[in-house]
Amino acid sequence: MAFLGQEEQIREFQDRFKYLYAAVLIGLGLLVARLVYLQILSGDKMRQYSEENRIKRVKVDAPRGMIFDRNRKLLIDNRPAFDLEITPQYFKEYKQQKEVVQLLTKLVRMPEKDIYEALEKSRGQPSFMPVKIKTDLTRDEVAGVESWKIEMPGVEVRQEIKRTNIYGDIASHLLGYVGEVNSSELPILNKESVKYRQGDNVGKFGLEQRMENTLRGVDGEELKEVDALGRIKLEKGKDRVLGNATPDKMAIPGRNLVLTIDQDLQLAAAQAFGDKNGALVAIDPRSGEILAMMSRPSFDPTEFSRGISSQLWNRLLNNPNRPLRDKTIQDHYSPGSTFKPITAIAGLEEGVIDEKTTFNCSGSLRVGNRVYHCWNKHGHGNIDVVRAITQSCDVFFYRVAMKMNSVDQLSKWATRLGLGKKTGIDLKGEVPGLIPTEEWKEQRFKQPWLAGETLSVAIGQSYVLTTAIQMANAYASIGNGGALWKPYLVKSVESFEGKTLKEFKSEEMGQTHLHPKTVELVKEGLWGVVNTPHGTAYSSRIPGVDFAGKTGTVQNFRIAADKIYQKCENMKFEDRHNGFFVGFAPLKDPVIAVAVIGEHVCHGGAMAPVARAVIKTYLEKYFPDIYGPKAIAARLAAEKSAPVKKAPAPEPVNNATEQEDVQEDNNDQLPARNAAPPIPALPPGIENEDNASPGAGAGVGNGD
Amino acid sequence: MTHTSTETPETPFGWEAYSGDHMNTGMYEDELKRFNWTLLILEFILFGIGIFNLISATAVEDKALGLYKNQLLWFGIGMVATAIILLFHYSLFSRMAYVIYFLNLLLLVAVLVAGKSSLGAKRWIGFGSFRVQPSEFMKLSVVICLAKYFESDRTVGGYGFKDLFLPALLVLIPCGLIMLQPDLGTALIVLATFGTMMLFMKIKTKTLLIIGTCMALALPTVYTFGLKPYQRQRLVTFLDPMSDPKGSGYNSIQSMIAVGSGEILGKGYKKGTQSQLNFLPEHHTDFIFSVFSEEHGFVGCMILAALYFAFLLNGLSVAYQSHDKFGVLLALGIVTIFFWHIFINMGMVMGLLPIVGVPLPFMSYGGSALMTSVISVAILTNIANKKFMF
Repeated sequence: MAFLGQEEQIREFQDRFKYLYAAVLIGLGLLVARLVYLQILSGDKMRQYSEENRIKRVKVDAPRGMIFDRNRKLLIDNRPAFDLEITPQYFKEYKQQKEVVQLLTKLVRMPEKDIYEALEKSRGQPSFMPVKIKTDLTRDEVAGVESWKIEMPGVEVRQEIKRTNIYGDIASHLLGYVGEVNSSELPILNKESVKYRQGDNVGKFGLEQRMENTLRGVDGEELKEVDALGRIKLEKGKDRVLGNATPDKMAIPGRNLVLTIDQDLQLAAAQAFGDKNGALVAIDPRSGEILAMMSRPSFDPTEFSRGISSQLWNRLLNNPNRPLRDKTIQDHYSPGSTFKPITAIAGLEEGVIDEKTTFNCSGSLRVGNRVYHCWNKHGHGNIDVVRAITQSCDVFFYRVAMKMNSVDQLSKWATRLGLGKKTGIDLKGEVPGLIPTEEWKEQRFKQPWLAGETLSVAIGQSYVLTTAIQMANAYASIGNGGALWKPYLVKSVESFEGKTLKEFKSEEMGQTHLHPKTVELVKEGLWGVVNTPHGTAYSSRIPGVDFAGKTGTVQNFRIAADKIYQKCENMKFEDRHNGFFVGFAPLKDPVIAVAVIGEHVCHGGAMAPVARAVIKTYLEKYFPDIYGPKAIAARLAAEKSAPVKKAPAPEPVNNATEQEDVQEDNNDQLPARNAAPPIPALPPGIENEDNASPGAGAGVGNGD
Repeated sequence: MTHTSTETPETPFGWEAYSGDHMNTGMYEDELKRFNWTLLILEFILFGIGIFNLISATAVEDKALGLYKNQLLWFGIGMVATAIILLFHYSLFSRMAYVIYFLNLLLLVAVLVAGKSSLGAKRWIGFGSFRVQPSEFMKLSVVICLAKYFESDRTVGGYGFKDLFLPALLVLIPCGLIMLQPDLGTALIVLATFGTMMLFMKIKTKTLLIIGTCMALALPTVYTFGLKPYQRQRLVTFLDPMSDPKGSGYNSIQSMIAVGSGEILGKGYKKGTQSQLNFLPEHHTDFIFSVFSEEHGFVGCMILAALYFAFLLNGLSVAYQSHDKFGVLLALGIVTIFFWHIFINMGMVMGLLPIVGVPLPFMSYGGSALMTSVISVAILTNIANKKFMF
């Protein structure tokens, strides 16, 4: 209501309104000026900031190539695994960090301390990089975290690829394992074209390592839209907001490997091995393809693929049976008696002996003032080369060595069979072994070669060192009569769509140029080992199959003279002898050669069943017409009606022998091949003798 | 008292909105024909834009999801209130001024005693599931109260300290209560409105100088003792946002990025990444303008600014053309409230001013603020249309 006198006051007010209009104009003008500055002058920059805000480049791991066996059975696969990650950038800001950690403790069953520790460890890296808190979440844990995700900014479940060895610890040395690349490896790896980043997996062992460039794919990149708390938006948000971002870079999977390995053979071998330690290599003598290869004990590479726990790692590292070593190629062994066929070959080829040459074995041989023992102190009597191989007579091979002018005459043939040098297989860390020569000793020890040393070399002792793969390959070469193949594991490389990119062919390393007669004699001796009652692997014979081989037993250390006849089983485990078996089948044109090493199994004969299992499986699978159970039964029936001259009919007497022939050399002197009445079992003290001459332990000169 | 058209002064800027309706025939139909709808129409347009924008801002999956529906409800209630207010003559507010003021003051005390807190401040008082923010209404109540106080005042030649003591008390009591919540933004608006009104009504030069000097001297003291640590931090970050880009400077930086990244045409409706992905804090309330400017760009902002400009000028015209002192002061106070809200909010969002919690009229989510705005517009419309009634 207007009062008197207001009129003038209002008029006075109206004069002042121009200031108010001006104020409004100036105020809004300021705001508009600011808008011009922000939206027009700095618009580009601000748009860029907002893009950087919301777009996170997420690496998409390219799956590594898969690995198949020769029949395309999947051996190594990429399976999903779920990790819990926290991005500290978003996590730190969050005031309720404590609550989140407490919630996580419940959701993934992990002590609070460990979560903070994991975060603490990542302090050095940029805070936008997610930190792995826990790997391998269970499905329940994943579901739990996902359902609480809205309450836990910066917390993500990340799906990763878990490199999985489908068959667990079988063939893990061969297949190898992957691990996170470490900072010392990075600069070396990154010299090559494909760049590795922290956190990438790289092959660290076995084929995974050797074939890294083939197996590794090319990582992709995905642009993910994130909200202010780092949570990746769901697809729904994507088409709403993520309109004009550059497209994702697809990950290109690595190439697949098809191996020469047959997984059925691997399984048969693993089963036959049981809990024994050692190694096995099976090769196709016709091509050098490796059919089976394993080292025991083993480990499960799957446990390595996502970071192995230090606890497990230490357990593997400190295991006296050395599960981390590939005993097929990385460890030297004295071949012992399995070397004798090579000595026989050298003797025959050098003209030192022929098929009629016999030596008398009295159980030991005196050379100068030294006595070289035969493993059988009762002696083998007069013995020719074939029976010497069959019965593993040490004295015979001492005599062969004595007739040689130099150890070089022996080494020449060993080397020609591929011993003493790397086979060149596609795996890292292969050791060459050693076949001593006079020159080698001169250089190595500055001492002349002693004649007596040749005797030890002749029975595979002294300086002689071989690997399982070398022995398998040497026997394969003896078996095929001439070619020495380069053993290989990878049959072909395929693209991830299954297109063959590269096929690997057999590669001949050389010809042995053995005289056919030599081959025939040695093979006959080897046949006798498995198929005659006095052979050292008689119990592992396969009826209907001409399976030939040689056992070997090597002392692990120099045993005191009074203990050389001590029963091996009574020794401490780590003192027990190593057992070897190397063989092939069938006798004529073999299709498989197998070398088996058994650590601390006391007798070479103990490993023959492993070889037998592999050979049997292989023959039955690939040659069912000849070696299928039915075919064999039919053939055996036919042989019964018209007995083959060569095969001694298994007689009741075998029972006695069979017990012993598990252990090499305990089926002692059956003086003549095919001699009908075998001698009854010897008393236990002698039964278990080793063929190693006393003091001729691995790497040690022949003894006292 | 009647006025002829010749007596009606022209607005300084030639604003024409009210220049035609000077003939009072005393007939109801004529009155309705000449009813001044301009402010109400502007209000509807602004609220329409506001709700359209709010739908986008509350589409984010967080606590604000779908809140725009409440806003519509509040607006509906506001329309009912508008209708009721238009039935009376605004002189009713003059008669009820002190009652309104004291009731509102009581509510402010109630907030402190039994209020609901959110984000560390006690600002709401609940009636069942209904929550109101008495500090929002207080702005209007203070203006009504001041208009009433000065209505009968006859001071000529500017106000001195003695004259200012009582009105200052009327302002400072609610201000103190609001500061206790604490709600610095609203308290500042009240003070700024009071200051503007007093300047308009003229203060003695000497008094003004003394007040200015005192304030300049008091500033450091207020900064040290009068502000909460987070308020102090905001001031520091305002002066240099990059000093703590991930912490207290975060809001300011993200908001500027949002506004700037809208560029000329904007990112498109519901496509503002800054708001949709939660980089913007409180994007449905105090930072609603950054949502709008991100999605609609400079063009959209200019339209909005033009609408606010028209709205403010219209409001000033209402004050200018009111023929009684209460009407002038009330309209002026209301426009002043709107002006400071718009200026402080946009300035804060664009990094021109430090961050204080002040909503943008018709755009920000918030029932009490919207109600206050709607009632304010209703009062302005009332003043515009009832100027000849006694």
